[in-house]
Amino acid sequence: MTRYVMSIDLRRCVGCQTCTAACKGANATPPGIQWRRVLDIETGEFPDVRRTFLPIACMHCANPPCEAVCPTRATTKRADGLVAIDYDLCIGCANCVMACPYDARSIVHEAHFAYGDTPMASEAKRFDPDRIGVSMKCTFCVDRIDLAAITGQIPGVDPEVTPACVNSCISGAMQFGDIEDADSSVSRLLKETQHYRMHEELGTEPSVYYIWDQS
Amino acid sequence: MSMETAQPKSVKHVPTYCYNCVSGPDFMCVKVVDGVATEIEPNFAAAEVHPARGKVCVKAYGLVQKTYNPNRILTPMKRTNPKKGRNEDPGFVPISWDEALDLVAGKLNAVRAKGLVDEAGLPRVAVSLGHGGTPSNYMGTFPAFLAAWGEVDFSFGSGQGVKCVHSEHLYGEFWHRGFTVAADTPNCRYNIAVGANVDVTGGPCAVIRHADARVRGYKRVQVEPSLTATGACSAEWVPIRPKTDPAFLFALIHVLVRENGLAKLDIPFLRDRTASPYLVAPDGLYLRDAQSGKPLVWDEVSATAVPHDTAGARPALAGSYRLAHAVVVDADKERREYSDVEGRTAYEMLSQHIAKYTPEWAETICDVKAETIRRIANEYLEAASIGETIVIDGKTLPLRPVAVTLGKSVNNGWGAFECCWARTVLASLVGALENPGGLVGTTVRLNKSRDNRHLSVKPGEDGFMVQYFNPTNKEEWQSAPATRNLHQTLVPIVGHNGAWSQALGPTQLAWMFQGERPDDWSMPMPTLPDVWLVYRSNPSISFWDTKHLAEVAAKFPFMACVAYTVDETNYMADVLLPEATDLESDQMIRMGGTKYMEQFWDYKGVVLRQKAVEPQGEARDFTWITTELAKRTGLTEAYFGAINKGVSGVSPLKGKDYDFSLDPASEPAPEQIWDAVCRAATVTLSEGSEEHDLEWFREHGFYAVPMSRLEWYLTPTMEKLGLRYELPYQERLLRTGRELGRRLHEQKMNWWDEQLSEYTALPEWHDVPGRWIRNLENTGAKIEDFPFWLLTTKSMQYHAGGNAAIEVMHEVAQNLRGHAGVIMNTKTAAGLGIAEGDRVEVRSHIGATYGKASLMQGIRPDTLIIIGQFDHWATPFANTIGAPSLNTIAPMSLDLTDATGSGADIVRVGVRRVEATA
Repeated sequence: MTRYVMSIDLRRCVGCQTCTAACKGANATPPGIQWRRVLDIETGEFPDVRRTFLPIACMHCANPPCEAVCPTRATTKRADGLVAIDYDLCIGCANCVMACPYDARSIVHEAHFAYGDTPMASEAKRFDPDRIGVSMKCTFCVDRIDLAAITGQIPGVDPEVTPACVNSCISGAMQFGDIEDADSSVSRLLKETQHYRMHEELGTEPSVYYIWDQS
Repeated sequence: MSMETAQPKSVKHVPTYCYNCVSGPDFMCVKVVDGVATEIEPNFAAAEVHPARGKVCVKAYGLVQKTYNPNRILTPMKRTNPKKGRNEDPGFVPISWDEALDLVAGKLNAVRAKGLVDEAGLPRVAVSLGHGGTPSNYMGTFPAFLAAWGEVDFSFGSGQGVKCVHSEHLYGEFWHRGFTVAADTPNCRYNIAVGANVDVTGGPCAVIRHADARVRGYKRVQVEPSLTATGACSAEWVPIRPKTDPAFLFALIHVLVRENGLAKLDIPFLRDRTASPYLVAPDGLYLRDAQSGKPLVWDEVSATAVPHDTAGARPALAGSYRLAHAVVVDADKERREYSDVEGRTAYEMLSQHIAKYTPEWAETICDVKAETIRRIANEYLEAASIGETIVIDGKTLPLRPVAVTLGKSVNNGWGAFECCWARTVLASLVGALENPGGLVGTTVRLNKSRDNRHLSVKPGEDGFMVQYFNPTNKEEWQSAPATRNLHQTLVPIVGHNGAWSQALGPTQLAWMFQGERPDDWSMPMPTLPDVWLVYRSNPSISFWDTKHLAEVAAKFPFMACVAYTVDETNYMADVLLPEATDLESDQMIRMGGTKYMEQFWDYKGVVLRQKAVEPQGEARDFTWITTELAKRTGLTEAYFGAINKGVSGVSPLKGKDYDFSLDPASEPAPEQIWDAVCRAATVTLSEGSEEHDLEWFREHGFYAVPMSRLEWYLTPTMEKLGLRYELPYQERLLRTGRELGRRLHEQKMNWWDEQLSEYTALPEWHDVPGRWIRNLENTGAKIEDFPFWLLTTKSMQYHAGGNAAIEVMHEVAQNLRGHAGVIMNTKTAAGLGIAEGDRVEVRSHIGATYGKASLMQGIRPDTLIIIGQFDHWATPFANTIGAPSLNTIAPMSLDLTDATGSGADIVRVGVRRVEATA
């Protein structure tokens, strides 16, 4: 079995939003829609303050709350661990948007573009009408994962089949790979480090691991 | 624009570079689908040679929008409204390229007919370029045009001096050929970052290096008034009072020198590589050998004073000694003889000087506890691991893994000389200056060779590196300025060794003196240039007192701007020239070797920026524009001559065993120019073994050869040449300042006297923040009306990118605290009745700027921060985001200009809520 996961080393992240912008480019999301972003979190009181950068996106949960509430089975859990949305089945009811504890999903009801109603050439080239009125979120760049099955390349190793955010990260904070493969870089890294998953208490079993220190 | 959902016919990944800020170049690919740029991607083919593994930062991901932004200027335009001003619609109308080029060339030809220099001795043509040398990585062969032209005034800066790390540039290059200075992060274990916001401004190379260092366990202590992104990623934040950094650094030196003492410092380094043993006379000048004029040291072997370079001598580092006879050489080479004179070593002078700057004293200035200062100093000393070595490429070098790094407004403006000095002294005391793990300069700009700072190290006077100061002696001092920023007249240390010297003069003086001048000004009155050319620069946003600056810009008789969109500066232009932008044009530049910031690599080479997509509209490659201007001004021969010499390229186009030089008569097109540049670059880099043309580079993107890490460090070169760093005692600066003062006073000018006070052998603390308060009070304002310090900080999304018009940058920047707002302390805000998101007015004594309150705990209660440079009123999109700007309300003032001609981004302000959140 394969289960693709992502690790994010919080010691490395500088909050630069390169992954946010790279994701927007790779997935052609409209203005204001971010399938992933980096939160800027402050705790404490002056002068004892901590500021933390926390990248968030769809956690591709093993027990995804979004799947259970989907009335049309548009949201499904794939065998490789990815949570997918079939835009043809989605009716845009937003149950999943409400159910997701990670605020990972959004729905765009009308097409809009960076500079108003008219798309630029780059936007026109990539506009997908199927994504209007349906639930959207991070796909782990599913097209690339599916390409790997054809080419034999390895997600997390070969950039062509690795999520755009991971490729773009300038601090080296993100790793991607098959956690069921003990030799994958992500598996090895998780063995060497202390980490947590967000809202594990909810039983969602997220596929995103946040590293905070050495083991 | 119709929607296209069909399967693409062609998909290409075009390798190119991003140099949107000074921390480039970084590698990327442009994904091009059916001729349309759709995505920016890393270029993993460069992962081996590029420290950032072939990646670019967030700014580059805005380049697709930059290409297709509907607000671009896409045809040449001319102004139809002869009146200029913010409230005057320029009435730009489209014209042909022929008409536009003829208009500009006509003005240039008129200048050539009159003479390049006007009646005031100033160039009739002025050129303004954008941030920190980034334009040179986009402007193709324009440098060759400038070389062909002759005298040009670069005085009207877009921010040079006030927005760069000015004192670091000047003193860094003076002391250790470090125009920019960085930690040797790959080997560093302890970094005291005083305002150095490297995780924001250092580019991908710095970000990955510091991330690697954090994981490996290095400690970075961030000392600054607010908790920036870099502070957030540091082990410790020290919220220091604004502009008191010299006191903090002096106290660190105190702990090392007075509390730990010489025995715990790097004695061999201080003795052999610095001027610490030089003997200083009671009058503050070096005691010199009467015959040779060389500075004397006390030889512990012979117990006599001997010239500093005496073979076999073991110079004493501490103490004072009686000399039977010696001379000193003062300003204007005045020589005095001394008998039975006491000489104290320069180190001893430092030790006595620093005695009063205890951590307890600094606590009262900096609002940082003495115990914190003392602990940090001791951690620094311990981490320096004096005695440890490292083997690099077979050579054993000292390993001194500690560095103090400085950020903008710490290393420019009043107090910056003190900080740069203290920072470099701290490195010297532990032997970390230009040694592995320590503090390294990363490039040179005021000295040659620009591409190899080791070649700039040659023996000069007194056992130090050669320096090329602007002369201050009576015969050669430039009493009538040749530039409007008076760089050769006022700033000896900026030198005269190339175009960069001029651009690093006191650029605010050029703007200020077009209005008022000091009462005792006795030099020719500064004129306006007949022609002003502006490239990738918007000083009406990026300088200070932007309202005044725009008013000055409106007075320029003729202005041609290379325009991306209409903006606040080109609003006053007579002609707009639309340039093919980053993804639409060709250029080859150097990479690796010596670049800014942390761009010291294991490779050096060249990288091509290439036309990934066709230019939009009538936009043209700037090399084409430049070539046309050369033709129309009769400069073709000289222009191609400059290109053949290597100006604008990488290597001369003709060398010992190769000749790719261009024949001006054949009027080579831009692609022919870059083809020749590609070939010459690869032949020289490969030492003749490889030659690659433009087509090869279009496919491969870059060419690199290995570079030894030994080239990162200057100290081995200094050792080889037997040279010393001119530290800790600044006898040369003392003499130079005295000479400069004499010259100015001979001209009956005293308006630069305050700046002359900076020329000291050992910097004293003076009330640096008080200068801003006094300036305020001098205008008649009441300090109680302006109770806060307003500072600015950089943002990776915008820093130097000229991308305020790019929608996606604004969108992603909003994920970070304070973008497009006014950051203030939560408790302070509560006391003023200000809530998160409230619209607030931030007012200085010259005006007000407005934005939303962004409340944070991670900022001192007495400080406000406005990120970046905004307040646009003409630039489309940027003029809709309502972002405030320090630049709108920061004054230009002689009082706030330091001896290098620099100023800092700080201003006293009041803040109030103007309306509640809806």
